[in-house]
Order: sequence, then C-alpha cells, then structure tokens
Amino acid sequence: MERKRILNLIIILIFAALLAGLFNLDILQGKKFRKQSDSNCIRLISQLGARGNILDRNGEIIVDNKLFYDVMILPQELDHIDLVLSKISRILGVGAEELKAAFKRNFISISVPVTVASNIELKKAIVIEEYKAEEPSIIVRSKPLRHYPYGTLGCHVIGYVNEIDRWRLTKLEDYGYKTKDIVGFGGVEEKYDYYLRQEEGGLSVEVNHRGKFMRVLGFQAPKNGKDIQLTLDLKIQKIAEEALLGRKGSIILMDPQSGEILALTNYPNFNPAVFVNESPALITKLFNNPDAPLINRAIGSSYPPASIFKIVDSSAGLELNKINLSTTFLCKGSTMVGSRRFACWDTHGPENISQAIAHSCDVFFYKTGLLLGAQNIHDYALKLGLGRSLGFELPYETSGFIPSPLWRKINKFQGWFDGDTANLSIGQGECLVTPLQAANMIAPFANGGYLLSPYIVKAVGGLDLSAKKKKLTAINFKKSTIDTISKGLRRVVSDTAGTGNVLSSLPIAVAGKTGTAQVSRGATHAWFVGFFPFDKPKFIICVFLENGGPGHAAAVTVKKIIESMNNQGLI
Amino acid sequence: MIRNSFFNVLILALIIAILGVLSIYSSTYQKEGVWQDIYMRQVLWLSIGLICFFIISGFNYRKLWDANYFIYAAALFFLSLVFILGIVRLGAQRWLKFAWFNFQPSEFAKLAIIIFLARYFSRKSVNDTSLLSGKFGIFQGLILPFIFVAVPMFLIIQQPDLGSGLILLLIFVCLLYLTNVRLKYIFTFLVFLILPLPFFWHFLRDYQKQRLLVFLNPNIDPLGAGYTIIQSRIAIGSGGFFGRGWLSGSQSQLYFLPESHTDFIFATFSEQWGFLGSCLLILMYYLIIRQGFKIAQRTQDTFGRLLAYGISLLLAIQVFINIAMNMGLAPVVGLPLPLMSYGGSSVLITFIALGILVNIDRTRNVF
Repeated sequence: MERKRILNLIIILIFAALLAGLFNLDILQGKKFRKQSDSNCIRLISQLGARGNILDRNGEIIVDNKLFYDVMILPQELDHIDLVLSKISRILGVGAEELKAAFKRNFISISVPVTVASNIELKKAIVIEEYKAEEPSIIVRSKPLRHYPYGTLGCHVIGYVNEIDRWRLTKLEDYGYKTKDIVGFGGVEEKYDYYLRQEEGGLSVEVNHRGKFMRVLGFQAPKNGKDIQLTLDLKIQKIAEEALLGRKGSIILMDPQSGEILALTNYPNFNPAVFVNESPALITKLFNNPDAPLINRAIGSSYPPASIFKIVDSSAGLELNKINLSTTFLCKGSTMVGSRRFACWDTHGPENISQAIAHSCDVFFYKTGLLLGAQNIHDYALKLGLGRSLGFELPYETSGFIPSPLWRKINKFQGWFDGDTANLSIGQGECLVTPLQAANMIAPFANGGYLLSPYIVKAVGGLDLSAKKKKLTAINFKKSTIDTISKGLRRVVSDTAGTGNVLSSLPIAVAGKTGTAQVSRGATHAWFVGFFPFDKPKFIICVFLENGGPGHAAAVTVKKIIESMNNQGLI
Repeated sequence: MIRNSFFNVLILALIIAILGVLSIYSSTYQKEGVWQDIYMRQVLWLSIGLICFFIISGFNYRKLWDANYFIYAAALFFLSLVFILGIVRLGAQRWLKFAWFNFQPSEFAKLAIIIFLARYFSRKSVNDTSLLSGKFGIFQGLILPFIFVAVPMFLIIQQPDLGSGLILLLIFVCLLYLTNVRLKYIFTFLVFLILPLPFFWHFLRDYQKQRLLVFLNPNIDPLGAGYTIIQSRIAIGSGGFFGRGWLSGSQSQLYFLPESHTDFIFATFSEQWGFLGSCLLILMYYLIIRQGFKIAQRTQDTFGRLLAYGISLLLAIQVFINIAMNMGLAPVVGLPLPLMSYGGSSVLITFIALGILVNIDRTRNVF
C-alpha cells in the first residue's frame, strides 16, 4: 500500500479512537461522571433533628434534649490543618494531639466534613464561629443530645442511647438506619426507637472549587422524633427510687384496674448521660460491674418467689375444692413429707386458710400442696401469669420458670417426689418469677378477678394508645375464692401476728403477702407484693430486695413508700 | 475547485474558532478584572489570524522555498531569545513579550520546521529532476535532517515544553515516512528513539514524571498532579449526550476544571455541548485535515505536497494529543487545541498555516 494511504488510515483511526473515548465518557460512564460532578459542587450540610422526648403520665418531662455543638473541618481546601487544629485546641482547651487523632480517626474523604471535637458548649461554639471568618472550612454544627434532668431516674425504663452496633445495623438497615446512627439500647429507647428517632434534614448548597458558598439548592427541615408518654408517675417513681436507694432489688407500682405501670425502678442503676458524654472509662465500668446495673431486674431477672407463691396454692386449693374455708391443718413447727421433715418458720397451731395466709404458715401449704399435686400447682401458677412471658413492652423480658413433673422427666430424666411438691408449694426449688410477674399475679385479687397485661407506654406522638393496651382477662375464679384470698391478704397486715403487720399503723388499709426466699448463697431475698387501699384498690405494689433479708424488710420499704405517697396526697 | 477548498477550510476553521471564543467566554466571564475581556482578545487574534489567512492564501507558497533558511534561522533566534528575555508563566519560560502581547516562539518553530523539512526532502537531482530523497543514505536521509530538527526541539524541551518538542519529533517521523526515505532507516530511527526511553526518564523534570505517573493512575495524587485529569474527565463525562448547555455546567462554571480556557478547553466545550457537540467538533477537525490531505494528494509539486501534509499532520497531531489528554487517554502535556484554545500565537500560526495550505491548492491550479 502507498505510504500516504497508510497515513490516511492512521489519521482516521486516531479520530475514531477519540470518538470512542468520547462515547465511553459521555454515554457509557456519563451517569457516574454526572454524579461525581454533582458531588464536586454540591455539599450537604446536615442538620440533626431532636430525638423524641419521654414524658410521664402527666406530661412531665423525664428525658429531653439539649443543644450541643460539634466542630467540623472540611479538609478539601485546607493545606494548613495543623495550624487550624492548634487554634481550635487553644479555644477549646483541649490538646492539639487529641484533635489531630480525632481528625485522623473520623476522616472519610476530602469532601466530607470531619468532626474534630464534639459536644462543646455554646460559649466555645460562639468563639469558634468567630474564628470561622478567617477559616471558612470550619463548620460548627448544632446537635441536640439526650438530656436527663433527673439523672438515674427511671433509667431501666428509659434505656440509653449510643452509636448503633453491628448486630442492630444488620437488622435495621432496611428501615433506613445507617452506621454511626444514634439508637436506643434497652428500655423504651430501644423498643420505640423507630418513633423516637429523628429524621435528619439539611441544606444542600452549591460551592465552587475553593469550597466557597455559591447558592442554596434546597432545604429540608429536620424532623424531630415523636414524643413518648409513659404511664409512669414521676412523683411515685421518685418515691420508689428513694425508698430503694442503696439496696439491690426492684420496686413496681401498678394500677390494678388497667395494668398501667406507675413506677418501676431497680437498683443498682446507672446514669444514661454517661453514654451521651461518651466517657469510655465509665461505660466500661458499667459493663464490668458484677452487680449488673444495666439489667432491668423487674422484668429481666427471675427469683424464687417463696411465700408469695402461696397465693397460687390457695387459689388452686379453693378452686379445685381440695380445701375450703373450714379446712384446718395443725402446725407443730414441722411436718413429715415421706421420710423427710419439712420445717415451718414458726409453730402456728391449728390454721385455716385465712390464718395460714396471714401467718404464712408453711405446714398448711405443704399439706395443701400435697393434696393438690404438683401438676395442679403448676397449672394454676400459669393461670396467674407465672412461668411465661407477659409480653411486656420493654425489651429483654424473661419468662421465669415453674417446674412440673413432666418437665423434669423430659429434661432431667428424673422423677418427681412429694418433697418436690412441698418445696414448690412454698415457692422454693426450681421455681422462679420476675418482680413484674409477682405484681401481675396479685391483680385479680385487687380488681375482682381480672388478669392484666401490664404496659408502660401510654401515648406515642400524642396518640393515646391506652385503649388498645389495656387488656383485662377474666381469670374465672369463683367469687368466694377471690374474696377469701384477698381477705387473707388483708389479714397479713391487720392480724397482730401477720407477717406484714408493720403496715397496720398506716392510715391506708394495705393488703399483701410477704416472702422470704432462701438462696444458696448470701442473705435471703425479701418480697412484698400487695395492693392498697384495700376497699378500693388503686395501687398494686411489689417490692423485691435481692439478698435483702426477711420479707419484713420489704414490708418496711412498702411502708416508707406508702407513707411518702400519702404525705404527698397521691393516694 | 479553487473556491471549494478555500471556502471549506475557511468556514470550518471559522466555526471552530467561534466555538472556541464561546467556550473561552463561558469559562471566564464570571471571573474578575482582566479575565472578563479575555474573549475579546481572542476575537482580536482571530481577526488578525483571518487577515493573515487572506494575505497568505494569496501569496505564492513557492516563495517559502527561498525564505526557508531565513525562517529556520528566525525560529532558532526566537527560541534562543526565550531563554534570555522570555517571561515565566506557570513554571515555564515559553513566551516572548512584545508591545502588548506575548508571543510563543515554539508555535512558530513548528511551522518553520515543517517548511524546512518540506524543502529539504523535495530537493531534486540536477541530472534527471528525480527526487534526491530516494537516493539518500543514512546520513543525508536521517541524521542530517534530524540534527536540524533536534536543535529547536532541544530548545523547546528545555523551556520546558515537552509537548511541543514531541510534536516536532512526530512531524519529523511522519514527513520522513511520506518522502522516499527508506523504511529501514525510519525503523532504525524509531528503535534508537525508543530504546533509550527508560534512560530519558532521569532527564525529565519532577512534574513531568508525575504527569506520566498520574496518566497511568490519576488517583495516586487526586489533589495534585492527578487533579486536572480527574476534573477534566468528570467535565466531559457529565456532559452526557446533549450537554448541559452553554454557560452552564458546574465543572467549568465553578472552576473545578483548571486551565478551562486553554489546554482543557475541550473539556469545557464538551461539558456544555455534550457528546453530540463534541462529535461534531471532532468531525469538523477531521474534515479540515482531510481537506489538507486531499490538497496534498492533488499537488504535483513535491515541496507543496510535503508542506500540505506537514500542515495537516501538525493540526491532526495537536488535535489528537490535546483531546486525548482531555479524556485521560494521553499524559498531560502543555499543548493547545488549535483554533479553540485561548492564545494568540497558536491562533495566528494556525491561520497562517491554513493560509499556506489553501494557497498550495490555488497555486497548483495556476500552473
């Protein structure tokens, strides 16, 4: 071929190559480059909304938000980052090294602002905002943060907020959750996170190659999360917390007519603010504490119910006609079950059902229990809401446990003996209940025969849910059964020899049952579960003291609470 | 027939130049101070270029044969003068300052070399009027002309202006190929050129090394040496099919694209006029070059033919390297896009070259 032809061909080829390159950039990769072009000149300045507040039943704020400020730096056009950081560090009084480390840690890409200092106060934020005039790549962003005006109050009900973890993120990604989102852990914060959660809004602005603001392209206002109104009564909650302070255990106050939780507290507790201030040392301490302050003991732990379980025996005995009002057993301080001697805590002499409840006579209930048989006791325990989850709203509820001969045979390959029945009938052995189950168990005797489903969230975003949440289930006991037992519960307090007699001095008529649970190690657990005022019950109360001594100790705590409530006119 | 090539070239060049002025305007009108009038200066140069085009197109190109050595010497003179009096801009000493404008001698040198080579290879034997180049040995056919090319090339590369230097070399190789010089000489030359390339690496300046490295991977230094090429690709790509419209397009309007009115004007144009406009632009360039090739093929005179080829190739190579580098297909070298990029010397020399081209066709018919 002629040389000029070859040259001609080469020229055609190189121009075809240019067209191909153009086709590749414009048509094949056009969308990608368009996006990159937009991300070059469009900046999103996010504005955070506030998480929903948590209110008590009267609308008093339990948890709200307070504005804090983050200092961010846009690294794109900044060639003297060290200088800027050292200036910021002087304003904030923080070491420049710390800021540099934060900058390195949070750096994502040159066009994304990097947070170098978070949660600074308004005064310092203003000073930095002034410095911004010299250094336009500094951004100060306001950020509403959780604020806990009452510190530890209701911490187990509320839960805490923290950065989302991997496990939650994988489950919640589809609902628009992102890495580094702040989400609730435990309590209402976790369960109602979807409602409490704010929606991020922001400004999209166009900037030039120096990051200089050109014009606003759009604005979307951030949306605050929905407020959650709890059934808690702040005043009662405070009284309960004060009464419990310093002792391991939990206290629950509940409305016997509706199942609304009026107070729920545990000790040891924690201050959720620790997670907001992100003090790693304190957080680690919380997680490593052997007393597990993060556990909501009222629903998350179960304990042997001891004598409060006698309510189950009484119900079963009366319902199944194994005993009646005139049945009397003689308590001589102990009784033989098979070849073993089972002791009573005292010598009571002849006792009928009412006296037995009042004096918490073990012998009476050993015998009743043996008449009933373990399976019947198990069945009635379940009828009264024990041994199964209550479907309570807060996360990490445990179901407790009621043993039965069948369960033992299947799971342990062991037989069931009368001694086990006797043990079960005084709520010892393998049997476990949560404080909330204990409170729930007594409800039918306070409200005339209805089992409740306790709930704690009254309204979400102003929408009252109590009509939906209030669920009364008739327990279908004979009226005489309920009357007999509730009178027996009253006698616990009114009888001079009653285990709860310490409460008789109160101007309010209280009914209830004490319990002293033996544990393998340490002091006994103390229980008191009851209701008041007796004639027209308005409150169910359950006090549980872990290793707190005899049931009497719980009764004393109840007394303190009722006294305070009465003084404040809450009853 | 005369009118035909004259008007074809003129109209195509004019359209491209006007598009260039529009793009220069769009990328500078928002800037402050002297920048705002920069498009007016380009219009002025364009007018001067047009006048030169008309004058040169009526001026017998054979006169260049005689002026050849003078032109070559003038080119060398200006190139040397750059080292003494040249003004430094963007780290390079490429411009000579005249009364109110800056002159870039390397642009002139490109044309001078083409004229010189065309003259050199079209000498005829005294005995039988056949071309001498067919009988050239390796010294006359390769080494001697290369020395003539190498001197200005060396001066240009030292400015530093690797791109223009490289173009002289490419034109030399192409013209060598188009004359009757034996292929084996050309191949020997190429081998000698390519073999020591790794060795030349050490002579490159740091920024030139960086440009070559970022050509291989722009992301090694996205804010430094790779920035331009990344932004330029984004500008071209974001244009899409129809483009974002004249005076819009964030890459050029918000100055993300550096050198948007000179070396990277194609990216500016492409962002605003899209795939469609860019295709048409490339097509117009091709049509001018094709016109040049046709003129070369029609011409009986060897000097005129080589001159026409040289001018067309000069255009083709510059257009190709510039657009390829805008698209990231070639390393970034300081080369303008002929007729479009802002710069008086380039516009003027291109119009003069086109004038010569048109004149070759006209004179042929006069014979």
